[in-house]
This record gives sequence, structure tokens and C-alpha cells, in this order.
Amino acid sequence: MTSSEPQPEFARGTSLWMDAWHRLRQNKVAVGSGIFLILMLLLCFVAAWFMADPNIQNLDNKFSSSSGAHWLGTDQMGRDLLSRILYGGQLSLVVGLTATAVAFCIGILYGAVSGYTGGRIDATMMRLVDVLYAIPFLVLIILLQQLFDAKAGEASAWIIEKLNIEKQTTQKTIRRISNVVPLLVAISALGWLTLARITRAQVLSMKQQEFTQAARSLGLSPMRILLRHIIPNTLGPSIVYVTLTVPGFIMYEATLSFLGLGIKAPNSSWGVLIKDGANFMETQPMLLILPGLFFTSTLFAFNFLGDGLRDALDPKAAKD
Amino acid sequence: MRVLLVLSLALGCAFLVSCDDQTTADKAVEKGILIFGNSSEPQGLDPQLVSGVLESNIIRALFEGLCVEHPSENGTALPGAAKSWEHNDDFTVWTFHLGEDRTWSDGNPVTTLDFLFSYERMLTPKLAAEYAEMLYYIKGAEDFHKAKTTDFNEVGVKALDDFTLEITLRGSLPFLPEITKHYTWYPVPRHVILRENEGDIADPDSGWTMPGKLISNGPFTLKSWRINDHIEVERNPHYWDAAQVKLNGIRFLPVNNTYTESRMFFDGLMHVTYTLPPELIPYANENYPDEVRSELYLGTKFIRCNVTREVLKDVRVRKALALALDRESLINNVLRGGQQPTYGMVPPFGNYKTPRSVEFDKEKARQLLVEAGYDGTTKKFPVLKLLTTDRDVAKRLAEAYQGMWAQNLGISVEIEQKEWTSYLVAQTNLDYDLADAGWIGDYLDPTTFLDMWIEGGGNNRTGWFDKDFEKLLKDSEHVPDAGERLKVLQSAEEILMSEIPAIPIYWYTTNYIIDKRVKGWSPLLLNNHPFKFISLETNTE
Repeated sequence: MTSSEPQPEFARGTSLWMDAWHRLRQNKVAVGSGIFLILMLLLCFVAAWFMADPNIQNLDNKFSSSSGAHWLGTDQMGRDLLSRILYGGQLSLVVGLTATAVAFCIGILYGAVSGYTGGRIDATMMRLVDVLYAIPFLVLIILLQQLFDAKAGEASAWIIEKLNIEKQTTQKTIRRISNVVPLLVAISALGWLTLARITRAQVLSMKQQEFTQAARSLGLSPMRILLRHIIPNTLGPSIVYVTLTVPGFIMYEATLSFLGLGIKAPNSSWGVLIKDGANFMETQPMLLILPGLFFTSTLFAFNFLGDGLRDALDPKAAKD
Repeated sequence: MRVLLVLSLALGCAFLVSCDDQTTADKAVEKGILIFGNSSEPQGLDPQLVSGVLESNIIRALFEGLCVEHPSENGTALPGAAKSWEHNDDFTVWTFHLGEDRTWSDGNPVTTLDFLFSYERMLTPKLAAEYAEMLYYIKGAEDFHKAKTTDFNEVGVKALDDFTLEITLRGSLPFLPEITKHYTWYPVPRHVILRENEGDIADPDSGWTMPGKLISNGPFTLKSWRINDHIEVERNPHYWDAAQVKLNGIRFLPVNNTYTESRMFFDGLMHVTYTLPPELIPYANENYPDEVRSELYLGTKFIRCNVTREVLKDVRVRKALALALDRESLINNVLRGGQQPTYGMVPPFGNYKTPRSVEFDKEKARQLLVEAGYDGTTKKFPVLKLLTTDRDVAKRLAEAYQGMWAQNLGISVEIEQKEWTSYLVAQTNLDYDLADAGWIGDYLDPTTFLDMWIEGGGNNRTGWFDKDFEKLLKDSEHVPDAGERLKVLQSAEEILMSEIPAIPIYWYTTNYIIDKRVKGWSPLLLNNHPFKFISLETNTE
């Protein structure tokens, strides 16, 4: 465009998201946490590929201190600790992020449909949520885990056979990932409950507002109204809630692994590493401290980022 | 915030506890109660339905066999339910004289009727006692157990009167008193079981072992049982030798995690631990030098192979798995408790020479696997599952095997951890590929490690059997010369090891920590310490 007429400054409105981004950028802790998380993701998912195999053991070289070959030393079986922490982080983060993504989708759709339709359907759907709420989370996860465990093993064997995967490393990766599937199913199956309630409450207030009435009077289909007009407006609080559930889910994985129900040996996750490390507390404290540091700093970062997002997306609820 | 609150509460509680300078162990000593780390929740308390060592610890406190273990001498039998006994010249007929003053904890006398009932119950096929072959020494017992005869009168146990029991054996057995110390030979209360099970002799539902119902004849009776919390026994006032019993009670704690258990000891919550985990041995040696014990223990660690599985049917595969394990490295780096690497099934003791049959040889192992057809191109080796218990040490061992097989044979094995009872059930039902297991001798003779591998033996659990092997075992019972007899047993073991249904790994030692105030506790090869001789010293200063 070669128009000579200058665009007036005020004409460029800022969207909700731009506002939020602006506010978030001011929050140094949140930005720092975000950068830290990106680094952690890069470490676990990119750098890890260049590390030694986390399951190769060398019993004669157990508990070695840090050296050129093993930057953080080796564990009780002579396996490289850094590599185990990073590969463990993969599983922990995969569980946390994927379970959250699944819970996010189910929760928002369920809540929105329930809130928008109202009436008997709403009542039934919400009572179902209440029923699921009443089931002890941990017990159900353990149950589902037991149910899906054998199936996941069979599935991974089937995939390897059907796709005719020859490469050992790819086979190993498939087996390792299939390890967390039962856990994922279990956590995401119940993780969406609170999110559904939050969304429903939001939708209930939105559907009374003028823009919804306008959309309805234009003759838009309920589906379109929901997807294009209502749900985008409810996303703010949902995203805030979701960032806070990621560490929660990672925590669940760690808890289950700590109880010996999560990821199977010899694979590691942060929970497994912390559990194993706790056994050597007196003699080899680094085995507990190092995975613990990775675990807690990541959880802290998620929490700070969530906090920052809340302040940014929902200024009314902000502390300052 | 909630986390902080919980943390500060926990810290507060810890502080409150530490203000009280008397530990739980100190208080228990004053009350005369021994706190005993017992690894896991027992499978049950019915002496005829269990097979583990941890169960035997509790059962030994509750019940008493014909003979009782000596507190410090291996292989010496003291009078128990029997006050005296004698045998004929070739050790085939034994007569036990029961003491007239021996009673059940409800005051009823222990008579030959109880013993006959116990042996009949144990051998009744419907009860499905896993350990019934311990009674096969009795003439006719095997036939009765395998339902070849239904007349119990044909089994070689007879009541000459209310207090005289005559046992006729299928062969000569000079060490029968040793065997009667084992819980499978203990009497069970006839009157109680018949009442609880409405006259059914072989109802495996052992409702009679519940607290309040359990009647026993040992130095202690069952006081309380809270699943996964504790089992407590208290002094039995009706016990014939009550004057000898020094303890007022024993509390058995099912602490699975050996690290937790040892820490409980260090924190004064326990008097004896079940074991001391390898990694804490250096720590304990430094800080508790007087409490650490490392003793010889008659037992073998092995991996059961389910030979009904297609892959494991091939003896070459089993042998390859056996040869690929570096036992020395395992002991020096993982276990560190002075265990001995095995070369056979029976631990070497006395005059028995264990045949050398398996040693670490990865070249040969690989070659055997190729011979079996798994050369990496034509046939793919399936992913096997290694069943083990949910204890942390078991997991580390399993990981070590897994790593060695992966590196030496290039095969992948998955680890499947199960809680103790379901671990046992899975083995009994042959619902596993490989199972990490062990066997502790029941008495001081090689047969305790060989008899279990017979066809249909409740502790075989591999699906393997061999007629020649069983014939040699039977033959050995008719060889009067002790040296010759051992030679026959050696050739039986050679057959067993050439077929290798179970891969031996190491011979046990027992490592544990014990409070200095526990007296009357001496090293025993079978580690079956008779609780009636144990006491707690109140003032050590």
C-alpha cells in the first residue's frame, strides 16, 4: 500500500490476548519461569537424544561422582544419572502436558454443552460429574492402571510388529511411551471434572449477555454460537486453571511411581528417581537431591507461570 | 499453602515426638514386648496353608511341634509337644510320647487325636496345601494326598493311646525330629477347626485363624491382627513351659521397604529387622557396629522358569539365561552382604558336595541361544516377563538381571512387581514367565532343596518334573549309609541342574540389625529362633 494518509494511532485496538501478553511480560517471575520451562523441555526432549542410553548399567561403576563421561555421576546400578533424569523428565512432562491437554478438551466441551443447553440435560451431566467427583481419585487411577496395564503392553508389541519396526531405539521408545499410556488414560479420565464446572459457570453467565442474544437473533446454530462466541470468551479462567493442573498431574505421576504403581523398571520418571534416591538418603544423598531439584524447580516454574497468567488474563482477580 | 501447612504440622509432630526421650523400643523393652520386623503381610496364619519364611516367624511363636529348636545349637531337638521319643534300628518307625500337661490355649489337652487330625487335614487333596509334600516322608502319605487311596488308616500314623504317637516312614530318616520342628508338622486344634468349619476337615477357608478365634499350643497366643499394620501375640498362660517364656509378647510389623525398616530401627521403633538392605550395610557398620549381624543362612536364591511357556520349554534357552548372569558382580555391587555365588541348587554344607553345573559364561550363553534358533534373524526372542515382589531390593535385583540379559544376550525382559500374596498366587497358577524367588532350607539336609522339584509339588511352581530325578530321590531313602546316600542325592541334583527349571543365583547370608538388649538370640543356620528362649534385658547401663 502506498497510501499517503497516515493511519490514526487510536484505531488499532488491542485484543484481550495482546493485553494479557503485555501484562504477562511485565511479570518478571512469570517470564523467567516460562523461559526456564522452555529450557527444561528442550533439555528433556532434544538434549536427551544426545545422551547415553539411560538403561545401560555398569555395576562396577556405581555411585561414581561427576566426570566427563557422566556429568552428574552414576546411580546405584552404574547408569548415567543425568541421562536418567532427562529421560525421566520426558515421561513426567509427557504425562503432565498430555493429560492436561486431554482434560482441557473434554472439560471445556462438556462444561460448555452442559451450561448452554441447560435444563434436564445440564442437571444429568452435572450429576455425573458429581458422581465421578465422589470417587477417590487415587484409588480409581490405581484401578484403571491395573486394567490397562496388560493391554498397553500388547498394544506396543502390536504396533512394533505391524509397522515392522526394526530399529532397536525406536522399539525402545515405543515401549517406554506405552508405559505411561495407562497412567495417562487414568489421569485424563478424571482430570477434567473441575474444568467442566468452571466452564459451565462461565457459559451460564455468557449466554445471558447481549452478544449471545445478538448471535442467536442472527439465526446462528447453537454449535456455532458455542464454538465461536462463547467458548473463546471463557478461555481465560480455564487457561489459568490448566497451567495449575500441569504440576498437579506431574505430581500424581510422581506419587504413583513413588508407590511403585507408575512407570515400570528400568525406565525412569522423576517420581521413580526420587523413590529410588530416598533409599540411599544416608549414603548417597545426591541420588535424591538431584532429581528432586529438577522436579521441584519445574513444578515451581509451572506454578509461577500459572500465577502470572492469572494476573494477566484475569486482572480483576490479581493480587496487585 | 496447604502443602506448607501440612509440612509445618508434620514438623511440629516430629518435634513433639522427639521431646519424649524414651523411644518406642525402650517402652516396649519395659513392657517385655519384642518388636520384630517381618517384611510383609502374611499369606495367612494357618500352618497348613502357608509356605513363606515370614509366616513361619509368626507361626513359630503361636504353635509348637513335637520337637523345638535349640536356641543356639544347629540340629539339636528339644522336647516340644512331645516330652520324649524313640526310633527303631533303621529309623523307619518313630514313637513320640506327648506330654500330658500340654494344652491348647483354651485349656483343652493336646492329644494324638489332634496330630492325626492335622496330618489328615494337611494331606486331604481338597485342602490344597502347597506344602503337603513335607509329610510325604510318612508311609502312604503321598498316595493319600494324590487321592490314590481315600482310607487314612493306610497312612503310617497311629495313635497307640491318647499320648503316644507312632509314625511309620516310607524310608529311613535319621533326622525326623528336625523335620518335626517345621510348621507343616505342627498340630492344629481339631476341636476348633471342626467347629468353625462345621465338621468339614478340609475347608481351606481358615476363619479359625482370626484373632479371638485362633487357639494355639505354643508359647504365645494371637492378641491382635490389623492388616498391613501389625500382628501382636501375647504370652500363653496355658503353655506347659510358661516359666521358661520371658517375653510378654511380640509385635510383628509388616514393613515391606527394607530401607524404611532399617530407619525404623535407627529411630528406635523396632528391636530386630527382617533384613538390612545392602546400601545401608556400610552406614550401619559405622554407626551401629554392635548391632549389625551377618550370618550364614541355609538358602538359595533362584529364578523359576515357567517351562510350560513355549520359549522356556527349550532347555538351551533356560541354560543361556542361567549362564548370562554375572553372579560375582551382582554380589559385589548390588547385594554386598557376603553371599556366595551358586554353582548348583543345594548350598554346600556338611559332607554334601554340590555338583558344579552353572557358572557365568556369556560366550557360551550366546552360543546356546543361537543353537536354540534365536540367532536374531529367523526367530525373534519374545519379550519375557520377570515376576518379582514389590520390595525395593527385589526391584534392584530384577533390574540387574534385566540389564545383564540385555547386555549379554541382547534380549529384553519386562519387570512385573506384585505384592507378596498375588506374587505367590501368580507362581502357583503358573501365570508368569520368569519369577525371582528363593528357598530357605526347612531342616539341615540336602533333600530340603531337592524334594520341592517333584511332580505336582506345591513349591515346584515351574511345571517341570523328571522321573529319573524322582526315582533317585526315592532311592536315597533306602540307602542306609550316610555317605552313599549323599552321593545318590548329588546325582539327583546333577539331573536337576542339567534341566535347570530354576536358575540358581546366590546362596544366602542373613544380614540384619538387632537391639543389644535382646538376649538369647544366637546365630542359627535356619534362622528359626525359638521365641520361648528370648528375653529383653531392661537395664543395659
